[in-house]
Amino acid sequence: MSLCPRCQAAEENISNVHTGLNAKGELVWNIFHCSACSFSWRDSELPTSIDYNKREAFFRVDTNKPYPVIMPVEQ
Amino acid sequence: MSNDKKELSANALAVAKRIGSLRDFLEFLEENGQCITWEDEIYPEPDVRNIAAAAGRDANNGPAVIFNNIAGYPGKKLVLGVHGSFTNIALLLGYPKGTTIKELFYDIISRWGADKPLLDFIEPEDAPINENRITENFNLYELLPLYRINEYDGGFYIGKANVVSRDPRDPDNFDKQNVGIYRIQVQTPGEFTLLSVPAHDMGRHIMAAEELNVPLKISVMLGNHPAMCMFAATPVGYEESEFAYASQMMGSPMRLTKSTNGMDILADSEMVIEAELINGVRSYEGPFGEFPGSYSGVRKIPRFKVTSISHRNDPIFENIYIGKGWTEHDTLIGLNTSAPIYAQLVQDFPEVEAVNALYQHGLTAVISVKNRFAGFAKSVAMRALGTPHGTMYLKNLIMVDDDVDPFDLNQVMWALSTRTRADDIIVVPNMPLIPIDPAAEVAGKGHRLIIDATSFMAPDILGSDSKIVNAPAGPEIDELAKIIQMLQNGEKS
Repeated sequence: MSLCPRCQAAEENISNVHTGLNAKGELVWNIFHCSACSFSWRDSELPTSIDYNKREAFFRVDTNKPYPVIMPVEQ
Repeated sequence: MSNDKKELSANALAVAKRIGSLRDFLEFLEENGQCITWEDEIYPEPDVRNIAAAAGRDANNGPAVIFNNIAGYPGKKLVLGVHGSFTNIALLLGYPKGTTIKELFYDIISRWGADKPLLDFIEPEDAPINENRITENFNLYELLPLYRINEYDGGFYIGKANVVSRDPRDPDNFDKQNVGIYRIQVQTPGEFTLLSVPAHDMGRHIMAAEELNVPLKISVMLGNHPAMCMFAATPVGYEESEFAYASQMMGSPMRLTKSTNGMDILADSEMVIEAELINGVRSYEGPFGEFPGSYSGVRKIPRFKVTSISHRNDPIFENIYIGKGWTEHDTLIGLNTSAPIYAQLVQDFPEVEAVNALYQHGLTAVISVKNRFAGFAKSVAMRALGTPHGTMYLKNLIMVDDDVDPFDLNQVMWALSTRTRADDIIVVPNMPLIPIDPAAEVAGKGHRLIIDATSFMAPDILGSDSKIVNAPAGPEIDELAKIIQMLQNGEKS
């Protein structure tokens, strides 16, 4: 796994948070989580969900952009 | 129509006595042909959402679906669509299949209130929820058979949890303790974000905790008594207990116990995740395919860390499919959205006959009312906009006469066609509006629409020469319709 399929954050932002095994203990899929944009995904999903280049642009995230904050915290 | 309470039927009481948990209800649904088990192996994506959407196509009769063979999650169980059809709601209330939505509405109205709660408190060591406890190394991705509900959701969501929190300013007040359904996105294995807004009771608790800089502890109940799910999603008053409403609606005691972090929780739920707000932190969340049938955007929202988890043996993870048109979200909360609006309106306007707010949590609603004088329905509509739920959700209001069944869209369209004049339409601009409505002018603000499709009254002179055809109706015609249907089906009358 290299870049986040949603925000293209670098590898150091991405963790393998769970591995799905079958009843025989064989690998079925992995779940990854991106600490930069909070995206989680399973590597068995369709490319339109987990391939940045095939993902609809509307659903990409640019962490340099401001996003609305719910109940902003007073500094 | 009055809101006098009536005694529950023997069947309703028998059903209430039998159902004390999600497991009981699934068994009951299965006996009635309203719960199926998907035995074939499936993948979390896209299979779960595909099957859920297919099962939910029939909002009147669709079944709950249990999945017990999910690739990568051996031994785990997931159920969707528990409240996914009006028939499932009818069975919960002790009615047979085929009961109309209108009949269910009047039944809920007759049970409405929290003045006679039926709550049993049992010791934590006796509660099934405490059969297993996890106190460290939390991994929600491992514990729950999570899946992406809609293709572009920002993560794996828990969409049907009942979240319990106490008011940080009055933590010992049972009635101010809130139970609500809020979307939860799992973040790191032991942390999650939870979306609430200041208009929600939970939002008030979050703001108060951060202002006072005290910990906000919550208990996230999963796989709950089916009546609890209905009331956790119901807009009741701030100082009214959802536990009390749920028990009174069922007419049977709700079994409560205490979580280790001090919340009252259901003793028979499948799992309870105890967590604590991380004060001052906001994390990316979303998008999420929401009840208007569109994705809400990416936002930064409050974050919680898990502190303890308890669960029954072989817990069942109950979740929901939400999408375009009627989905389980609508069958779960539609009637319970309609009932409080009705109860609040009828206090001031006893002429209100019924409220149908079944469309996208009331973004469109139909209210039937007997006009007391010309223009009266418009005043009732304005009052509806000022009810607690109406303040944020009632966007399009269609007012019809009391001889029009607001649950019968054929009749509603007749009223619109024959009783609406162009100047009977009112637009109220720049009102507050639920931020996830895609038709909002800006997120959180938009216009309201009132269509007065009621008949004309003096001193209104228009339409004074029209007389309504009295179409044959009533029990005799109902009986004739049944005979015709039997003849059509080849049965003897």
